Amino acid sequence: MGIPISIRESYEGRHILVAGGSGFVGKVWLAMVLERIPDVGRIYLLLRGKGRGVKERFEKFVNDNYVFASMHDRFGEGLSEYISSRLEVVAGDVSKPDLGLDPEVAERMRGKVDLVINFAGLVDFNPDLRDAVGTNVMGGVHVADFVQSCEKAKLVHISTCYVAGKRDGFIPEQVQPKSPSGEVIDAKAELERMHTIIRETEEENKSPEVEAHLHKDVIARLAARGAEPSERRILDMVSRLKRKRLREMMALAGTERAKELGWHNTYTYTKAMAEYLLLDRGDELDLAIFRPAIVESAVEYPFAGWNEGFNTSGPLVYLAKTWFRHIPAMPGNPLDVIPVDMVCKALLLCGAALMKGEHAPVYQCGSSDRNFLPIDRLTELSALGHRKWLRKNGESALHKVILSRWDALAADPDHVLNIGNIRSVLKQVTRYLKHGLPEKIPSELQEAAEKLAKNTESSNKRLRQIEDVLDLFQPFTHDHYCVFECRAVDRHSVAEDDLRFEVESIEWRSYWLDVHMPGMRRWCFPAYENKDKEIYDPPFQFSLIDEVPATAAPAVAVADAHERTG
Amino acid sequence: MSDKNSAAFFRAEGVLISRGVVHAAAWMASQRAGLRERTIRFGQAALAAPLFGLLGQNDRSLGNRVAHLAYRDMTEDRITVLAEEYVDDILDGKILDSGIELIKKARKEGHRIVVLSEGISEIMERVIEQHVRGVDDLVCNHLEYKDYKATGKLLDPVIGGYEGGRFIRDYAEEHGIDLSRSVAYAGHGPDLLLLSSVGQPCVVNPDFTLRKAAKEADWPVVDYSA
Repeated sequence: MGIPISIRESYEGRHILVAGGSGFVGKVWLAMVLERIPDVGRIYLLLRGKGRGVKERFEKFVNDNYVFASMHDRFGEGLSEYISSRLEVVAGDVSKPDLGLDPEVAERMRGKVDLVINFAGLVDFNPDLRDAVGTNVMGGVHVADFVQSCEKAKLVHISTCYVAGKRDGFIPEQVQPKSPSGEVIDAKAELERMHTIIRETEEENKSPEVEAHLHKDVIARLAARGAEPSERRILDMVSRLKRKRLREMMALAGTERAKELGWHNTYTYTKAMAEYLLLDRGDELDLAIFRPAIVESAVEYPFAGWNEGFNTSGPLVYLAKTWFRHIPAMPGNPLDVIPVDMVCKALLLCGAALMKGEHAPVYQCGSSDRNFLPIDRLTELSALGHRKWLRKNGESALHKVILSRWDALAADPDHVLNIGNIRSVLKQVTRYLKHGLPEKIPSELQEAAEKLAKNTESSNKRLRQIEDVLDLFQPFTHDHYCVFECRAVDRHSVAEDDLRFEVESIEWRSYWLDVHMPGMRRWCFPAYENKDKEIYDPPFQFSLIDEVPATAAPAVAVADAHERTG
Repeated sequence: MSDKNSAAFFRAEGVLISRGVVHAAAWMASQRAGLRERTIRFGQAALAAPLFGLLGQNDRSLGNRVAHLAYRDMTEDRITVLAEEYVDDILDGKILDSGIELIKKARKEGHRIVVLSEGISEIMERVIEQHVRGVDDLVCNHLEYKDYKATGKLLDPVIGGYEGGRFIRDYAEEHGIDLSRSVAYAGHGPDLLLLSSVGQPCVVNPDFTLRKAAKEADWPVVDYSA
């Protein structure tokens, strides 16, 4: 048992600046604090944008988002006053110095803020390197600069367990001095290197050779379309293609450098760089690094099954519902899944410990160390979940009877029925149907062959997309065996039941089948199928009130919230 | 501990459910992941049928053990989910109303209700939960698991042989049950010991061996189809 700590008391009257609070984890954390820690001081929520726009953006996400549904239900019309008396939206941008804040607002916060939580991050695996550096690296640096300029603020920097990169085995809660490939990291030199890569890629894209090549390409395209090759049109198209090419080259350059140093992608590489840069500041910065693993649907808050719509396991689970059944995964390897509300509870503990000065330098928040879930179990559970659902809700008898029993399996990527081989066969079939049939065949057969060729072609395109997704996930599902230490949370024992991190309490079968998969079916799969996202319709519209009257509802609401949250 | 000092023992197979363990094991085997596995394990389960035919009227333990080999290497997740499907879909309509009435009657008479089954706990617990109300205890077979996978073995004691009789004597002692005031309902040869341990045995839809024994012992015989 660790040192006892009360989360509610730790946050009572404390002022918190939150950057990146509009993301999946940020929103749940924000709602949880507002609802379950009603005596929190002031929350300053940094949102990108200017003036009234950010306020409207916040109002929209409280009104449209199911995360706040339970607060709408609880406070009804009083929600506007309840939130407004605890939260202030500030316009800013972490990628800018001083967080792009209005100087007056920045000055006001410097004297007040006790804790800064930086959720801001670009979570695309292989984004444009400029964006990744701007948000993941420089965002972290700017937030740290701001924290250091405050009177008493301390920083929780949100990173990811996967900064471990290509390391295997037990990953301790430490920042490793070397990159996963074994190179000693000089953070400042590496940041300079990133800027150099960006500069060189931009220069290369401006070169006359590239310009000439694109020019030629545009003319050829226009000719193929039979369009008029006017000078203006050519210039427009060249300019567009140049921008597209630059983004692609930037993504490629980032991935190449990441892989050189032993990270799987630009996301983990840039997140790791931010950690190194923050640690370089030594004692000048009161810091705790918080690394969640793969964040998935909530167990209980805001309600069982809530997720934002796009998450890591989503595409893999969705695949298990298709006719493609060989998921490249290494049986026995963990997929470190952790429900979002568990992450928020561990994060609350991390922040409380940091404010008390009793924190660990690094908190990893995952399940593999405490409640192991192997990928093959997860694959089978996904197949069984689809089976249960398809038997009752399948679109046709084929789905109800056959597809429901078409179990997905964890298989070697080199399995004879892997997606690459299936694509090759389909390609051959398409080619044969298009060009290989004898010329003198009945017109009905010809038509049927053309139709079939179209189908196989579009299936091939879909398989290509699936192949890309599988390639992206293969390092995590097959190539590496990582168990992330998750023991820093044990330094303290949390007094409040509803705010305690208890990953051991997850029973994976019921979580996967009764919580996570129904959650994905509701929030994720519609997005994969290009269906509309479900929007929350609140009983009362929430709006931020600039001046909350001193005698307004908060006191009553606080008592009410205390009573309800126990 | 219940305050009831008499019990009614029901053998599930043949008295409460019209399907036995071979049916369950064969169905489960046919739902495994992968065609090869399905074929091999289905064959194993099917092999248990003639064993039950040959030996079932005297000892069903061997048949039980062979039938349950069909579960070998199946994960606990798969068995649990399939058991749910088996009970909800396959056993739908296979629960014997007359058996349920017998339970109601025994309950009214103040007996403690105990169900004995050769089936595995994953299936039988759901059967009781979904279809048979008012059961105080369920005694059934348990699969052995290692690393989340069934080994294909049953944990001792394997219900299905003569254990029913031995079991109720221990059970009566543990729960302070007066066996002379207790009743038992069963229909297979190996249940002889179970039936002869209680004061009021009743034979239900009996096989040849048990029908003959019941006639000799002058036990009441209930035929649902009659």
